[in-house]
Amino acid sequence: MDWNVVLAALRDFFAASDGQALLIALVDLNQASRGGAAVPFNTPAADDLEFAFNRLFVGPGPVSAPPYASVYLDPDRRLMGAATRRAAAVYDALGLSSPLSGSLPDDHLALELDAALAFRTLAARRQDDQVDALWRYFLHDHMAHWLPKFAAAVAGAADVAPAIGFAVGLLSQWLAEETKSTPPNVDQSGGLA
Amino acid sequence: MSQRMTRQDLERILDNAVSRRSFLSGLLAGGAMAALPCGLLRPHPAQAAQVWEGGYQTFRNACPRNCYDTCSIVSYVKDGVLQFVEGAPESTFTRGGLCVKGNSYVRQVYSPDRIKYPMEQQGRGSGRWKRLSWDEAMDKIARKILDIKERDGSLLGLGLTKYSGNFGITNYGVEGMMSSLGYTTRLVGTPCWPAGIDAQNFDMGSMWCNDPEDLPRARYVIVWGANPAWCSVHSMKYLYAAREAGAKLVVIDPVFTQTAAKADEYIQVRAGEDGALGLGMARHILDLGLLDRDWLAAHAQGFEEFAAYLRDTVTLEWASEKSGVPIERIKAIAEEFAGAHPATIWIGYGMQRHVNGGAAVRILDALVAMTGNIGKPGGGARYGHLQTWGFNYHALLQKQPEGSKGWIGTAGPKGEFDVTGSAGKVTYSDRSLNINKTAQMILETSDPPIRMLWVACKNVLSQDFDRRKMLMAFDKLEMVVVADLFFNQTVEQADIVLPVTTPFEDWTVNASYWHYWLSLNEQAIAPLHEAKSDIQIAAALSKRMNELQPGSCTFATELDSKDWMIREFNKGIYDMFGLTSWEDLRNGPRKARLASSASWADGVFGTPSKKYEFHSDLCARNGHDALPRYKDARPPYDKLRLLTPHHKFALHSQFQNLDWMVDFNLTPCVYMHPKTAAARGIAEGDAVRVFNKQGEVRLAARLTADVPADTLLLYEAWYKGLAFNCQELVDDTSSDMGAYKTGAPGVAIHDQFADVART
Repeated sequence: MDWNVVLAALRDFFAASDGQALLIALVDLNQASRGGAAVPFNTPAADDLEFAFNRLFVGPGPVSAPPYASVYLDPDRRLMGAATRRAAAVYDALGLSSPLSGSLPDDHLALELDAALAFRTLAARRQDDQVDALWRYFLHDHMAHWLPKFAAAVAGAADVAPAIGFAVGLLSQWLAEETKSTPPNVDQSGGLA
Repeated sequence: MSQRMTRQDLERILDNAVSRRSFLSGLLAGGAMAALPCGLLRPHPAQAAQVWEGGYQTFRNACPRNCYDTCSIVSYVKDGVLQFVEGAPESTFTRGGLCVKGNSYVRQVYSPDRIKYPMEQQGRGSGRWKRLSWDEAMDKIARKILDIKERDGSLLGLGLTKYSGNFGITNYGVEGMMSSLGYTTRLVGTPCWPAGIDAQNFDMGSMWCNDPEDLPRARYVIVWGANPAWCSVHSMKYLYAAREAGAKLVVIDPVFTQTAAKADEYIQVRAGEDGALGLGMARHILDLGLLDRDWLAAHAQGFEEFAAYLRDTVTLEWASEKSGVPIERIKAIAEEFAGAHPATIWIGYGMQRHVNGGAAVRILDALVAMTGNIGKPGGGARYGHLQTWGFNYHALLQKQPEGSKGWIGTAGPKGEFDVTGSAGKVTYSDRSLNINKTAQMILETSDPPIRMLWVACKNVLSQDFDRRKMLMAFDKLEMVVVADLFFNQTVEQADIVLPVTTPFEDWTVNASYWHYWLSLNEQAIAPLHEAKSDIQIAAALSKRMNELQPGSCTFATELDSKDWMIREFNKGIYDMFGLTSWEDLRNGPRKARLASSASWADGVFGTPSKKYEFHSDLCARNGHDALPRYKDARPPYDKLRLLTPHHKFALHSQFQNLDWMVDFNLTPCVYMHPKTAAARGIAEGDAVRVFNKQGEVRLAARLTADVPADTLLLYEAWYKGLAFNCQELVDDTSSDMGAYKTGAPGVAIHDQFADVART
């Protein structure tokens, strides 16, 4: 599986603002992860997928699984917490920033997946110890701390559309494989971070 | 190198802009960053602004909610993020502290539950929501407005209901937006305090309270139908100070409130019989001759007529029987009140939410007046004021487009904050309907019917009366647009929802209806998500309206919120607050320069006679008794009285949805006297239903002797995710007064009845 393609499709999925964009991302996800084989669920209508997506991640009502790191990492379960700033700092160190910074919290899942894609691309282009260290940090000390909680929140929600379960399943699978193949930095104490 | 670089090393680098920016400089120089496959993140400009490592920036804000205290706030912002808020120390009223609700503001701004984007629901109540861009949302709304104009030849089919969700002066741009579209239908009046406003206007010519900061000068304080320990926490220090200086604090209320618990004496009055108690006191004061005859002779008219009424009609026995207060207590507090100088009554809004509420306020005013306590520092019949609200109302005062058609007839006031006054005879006006009968008005209005309702600063399905009827009324509407912060029961019934800003995300200015401070509200942070303030929404709508039909909306199509805030100031405000510029408020809130802390200190009233009018012909002309006579209470329509005041952690339907509040007030419950419960086999914590002719609610029973045995009390509030709604039980029966100054009578919120049973 080409995880870069999966990551790009996951990013587009979680950044989608309408059902059509969700479906396109879903097709990409399926192509990248299953070679286009039939998905084990009925392809939803664009509108239904959008309604289900909005119920879980967007609103306008309280959402079961807000796709922001700080909701899971900040002790106050809020937006724009310390984790948001940390994500922005990582992008900044990479020479990147979100044009929506300030209005869309920097730790939105789609932005973090975009950064993960950047890290993986850079690593493939050229071995660089610093990039490597920063990527390990972002992966192990940030993303891996909240994505399982986010996936659990989705799993715990009522009536999750199978297409959304499929996308979140791929997200979890990527995280598991990535964290396994990319060991963490050492901790100050000498142990693993 | 990565073998040696630890997590802590990286965090140190990330936390410092210089090290962070130079961390990958080699890589950047080497061109490895070119053409990354990012779809969202962008390379930032080499000289991108860096504000991260600064200290806190502070901003001036104000709490704009419907509360006595209208707190002056200092906001602390770091890295563009609101970190915490505190009360402004410069205001002697706020005095550096906020209430629990105010301290929760950071939770409100950064709640993951906030409405983030314009959205459209496919089927009201269906939960089938789609995101809209602002352009799409404005296009749908604008096309609907034009469709209404095309079909009806006017915009009377477009209705607005707005009240107290945000009292920022520029938020009156919502009304301005309506005017800029044409003559529309307005739900006018106020569910809050209109009967008392009219009463004070009839008696004195205006509603104008003493400065609450002069309460420590009082020698005797009656808090009558108000619960400042919950609803005006900043006023409590003045009540304590008065007590420390020797004043007696008496609380009169049907419910043993937290304020009552702090008082020297608590008098449990039968709800709706405050007037009878007041008249009993007045009769006793008259009998003992404890009047201020000099003041009455110089500044009052009609007292002898009132005295004759007292002598002829009112007895202590009658007053005691009606009010449930023993004769000895009536006598004692009457003598104490009349014997203390100065003495004051804080007239709460709760006591006028009755079919005889306006009459009752006139009776309490009379008590204060006959004892010579009007116009005295430390005295006064304290109800509220609008003395410091003399802004330009630039956002509000918009012109209808050329050729607009509207309602033919006389235009009245559109609420208590209507600065335009009665327009009198005009060719066309807006169509005014009673806000307290919104459901009925929508159902029965025709020619043209209300086709579209714009809801701003209001949670209709939570706060308006007779919820069942309201749902039927919504069924009649072709489009419902709601602008709000959170997904409440009204948003649930909307077609289009628009995300609005919190007070920290746009500019405005705030005054109080109780104290005399003025607060600047600066934009402290960028609006989160896609939220817009009410005037920015109006501008966006105007832009689309004019694109679709040039000249169809006169509102600015682009505006600077700060500039619009500045335009609200005028010389009158500057002079009143001793300002050379609005920018002086950046140094802190300012208090009005008062000739006296007492209202009516010069003894010249705003009435036709320029005197305090015990006999008011104006009152009679408005369909009431010319004298402050007793008016019958509403006959019970069920076994127990039902009271629905607001909870200490909520302000109507605001705040309770926040997780911090839920921690302390998880679920709604009904309070009842142990005797009431025992008679129905109800134990503490039992699941019960409270029911009446309107409907029913299900909740848990709480047993307490703090409520009378004939009373059920449940708090109004909108609980996130719970169907509970006290308006299932409250009908839309009007209170006696309110139409004169606010355009519609008030509503008898506390003249409701119900029964309770185990489920």
